[in-house]
Amino acid sequence: MVFWIELLIAGLVSGLVIGLVALSITLVFGIARFPNAATGDTMTLGAYGALAGHAATGSMLIGGAIGALGGAAVGLAAYALVFRRLSNRSTVALLVASIGIGFIIRAGLSLAFGHTQQVFQVPLVRPWRFQGVRIHPNDLRLAATAIASLAVVFATLYLTPIGRRMRAVADDPALARVSGISPVRVMVALWLLAGAVAAVAGVILGLRTVVSPEMGWEMLLPGFAAAILGGIGNPAGAVVAGLIIGIAQEMATPVVGFTYKIALSFVVMLVVLLVRPRGLFGRVEGVR
Amino acid sequence: MSLVLADLAKSWGGFCAVDAVSLTVPKGGLVGIIGPNGAGKSTLFSLVSGFLAPDAGSVTLDGADITRLAAHERARRGMVRTFQVPREFAHLTVRENLMAAVPGQSGETLRGLFLRPAMVRVEEQAAAARVADTIAFLRLDPVADTPAGKLSGGQKKLLELGRALMTDPALILLDEPFAGVNPVLVEALSAHIRALNARGIGFLIIEHDLPALTRLVGDIHVMDRGRVIASGPPAAVLADAAVREAYLGGSA
Amino acid sequence: MEAYLAAIAAIALIYVLLSLGLTLHYGLTGLINFGHVGFFCIGAYAAAILSTTGGMPIVVGFVAAAVLAGLAAWPIGLVSLRLRDDYFAIVTLGFSETVRLVVTSERWLTNGVQGIPGIPRLFEGLGVGMPSALAILGVLLAVNAAAVWLFFRLVKSPFGRMIEAIRDNEEAVRALGKDPARFKIRVLMLGAALAGIAGAFYAHYIGYIVPDQFIPLVTFYVWMAIIMGGVGRISGAIVGSLLLMLFLEGSRFLRDVVPFISAVDMASVRIGAVGLALVLFTLYRPQGLMGDYTRR
Repeated sequence: MVFWIELLIAGLVSGLVIGLVALSITLVFGIARFPNAATGDTMTLGAYGALAGHAATGSMLIGGAIGALGGAAVGLAAYALVFRRLSNRSTVALLVASIGIGFIIRAGLSLAFGHTQQVFQVPLVRPWRFQGVRIHPNDLRLAATAIASLAVVFATLYLTPIGRRMRAVADDPALARVSGISPVRVMVALWLLAGAVAAVAGVILGLRTVVSPEMGWEMLLPGFAAAILGGIGNPAGAVVAGLIIGIAQEMATPVVGFTYKIALSFVVMLVVLLVRPRGLFGRVEGVR
Repeated sequence: MSLVLADLAKSWGGFCAVDAVSLTVPKGGLVGIIGPNGAGKSTLFSLVSGFLAPDAGSVTLDGADITRLAAHERARRGMVRTFQVPREFAHLTVRENLMAAVPGQSGETLRGLFLRPAMVRVEEQAAAARVADTIAFLRLDPVADTPAGKLSGGQKKLLELGRALMTDPALILLDEPFAGVNPVLVEALSAHIRALNARGIGFLIIEHDLPALTRLVGDIHVMDRGRVIASGPPAAVLADAAVREAYLGGSA
Repeated sequence: MEAYLAAIAAIALIYVLLSLGLTLHYGLTGLINFGHVGFFCIGAYAAAILSTTGGMPIVVGFVAAAVLAGLAAWPIGLVSLRLRDDYFAIVTLGFSETVRLVVTSERWLTNGVQGIPGIPRLFEGLGVGMPSALAILGVLLAVNAAAVWLFFRLVKSPFGRMIEAIRDNEEAVRALGKDPARFKIRVLMLGAALAGIAGAFYAHYIGYIVPDQFIPLVTFYVWMAIIMGGVGRISGAIVGSLLLMLFLEGSRFLRDVVPFISAVDMASVRIGAVGLALVLFTLYRPQGLMGDYTRR
């Protein structure tokens, strides 16, 4: 029993990471209308940014902030240099470009930081025991960070004017334009936010596991699966779906083995696209 | 082939495009549908042909319920439709467009293509002969080898009709077949439709060209705002007050 | 020197075969297949396993490679062909990553991360000199020629006519009683089989395969090749593959000449270069992506 609870907790934490990735993906899909394959590598950039920042200053907080800023900057740069010029092209063109951007980021990172895995130099803490269940204080801290980031994002989306405009564009871009909402400002906000969110996910993942050039790409599939499961374009749905997939992945590990938990995402994605393309919470979306 | 629509309905958001429409095309029938723009006529066609799923109601073809059947399956059973805005294969020539419509070609299967090249050749020749006839009848000879995308609007309409005919259908749903077609050809087309009908092929025709349609069909259904507001022989229907109001928007 | 050129030619011909498969998928039919390396992997492993632990003659491995890769395309086709372009792309990407995952995990079958060594070379009886190298090239050329023939047969047939009709207007095809998915699935399977055969050649040529050789980067090498060469044309697949080889060999050569770049660094430079190429092509050569489709 204890074993299952610990798996559940692990699932919640990794689910929060997946949820953050899915959130970044779904924000871009909802507002810029394409699947952003550079999300994974933006995560990696965030992790390396935090690594460098932490190594330089000794503060995890500053490291994390640097990571988040790096992600935001890269998101904005990608928009300004590439995606903006492709805004009237097909989603496939944007998708291919985003793959290219992801590759460029990954190459840059591995040239700058080397190819081997690195870990954050944080002190080892013993897990607490609560009713026999091991709880790692780091996990709690990471979960808190994830939840805080989510709070910031949702506050921005639902409580600020720019967030309202972003949601308007997601709902109906033509109408939004006609209503005088400046598309450029919305896009800038979107890419800063989406980049930062992905980067924070990367930092958390890096702290939980290791930092390597491929770490983000490997989160892409679960991220997409969660975004689709939650209903593409639905931010809350993405987070909930991320949690579901995270928990399911961890709980399934004893049964299907460690490597196959990623395959679970693929299966989930397929099933959703076949059976209920709009996911759990999405509106009817043109998937076919 | 008989077609029975029972209480077909389709809405989007709050807008009701088709509202409990029922009508019958008897075997070998020649039926028309008229109505102002936006009345839901083309939507009805899409529901019948399987390109849209209805919210309610049923479509029965020769006694079999096809309401959930895929669009291409319905066409294979012998009910084909044309589109109001022609959907030609723009990069194929007129000839190739018509060839593509011929059903049951072994050349379209991998097995036929690689294992039975001789049979494929024979079938292609037979199909080509049929296609040549159709091109001649539709007077498309001058553009037979032109890419369909370069045709005029009227020519594209003719091509739509031609493609439907190539499938050897038992029931054809024509969506504004005469739009943009010159009057002489409209006469010839009507004569051909009558001839095909005499051979047992049923027709359900949406048209705005009232004179041509009324000369052609036996029964007319009038649609307005998603509903059938009148049905019957052309003369009676056109004299109906409700119909005049729908078309003229007020007292006639 | 000749041995080096022969090696380059062999790898180039393997890439041509891969490009031909992708040209069938995208150039001819407009299918955005981001998982091509998955079929390549299935073919390579089928050939490797059957000829080593299986003890079967090499030919059996080749047939199995083509058949298994082709069959793998079938369920992928069924589930994803009704999806929009970009969703199809994501699903195929997931497919190839899942293949790599399976190959990494099923150690009893594939020896996991350590891979399969000792795969017999073709024409081992001829020794390791030029005669066997030329024989291998000969077979590769013959297979490529057959693939090109297959491509042209397909394009000029009624089947090819329907493919072009589907690209022009899928709904009209359905209105005529034909199911577009049927055609697309068959094209997917044919292209996948070609990739599987390429994989078998690869396994027998390199002699040692590991899962890490079948990463998505390879799929995008092939995409780069067909975009550079000109999408939709056979000549494009060939030219593009040659340009790709130039790029791959050129970067390796560069590393040999410039001493302070490690192999790993060069791998990163390559990834970056592919990424840059993809971005630039999307921005400045849109016809490379938007459908210089095969015309009959």
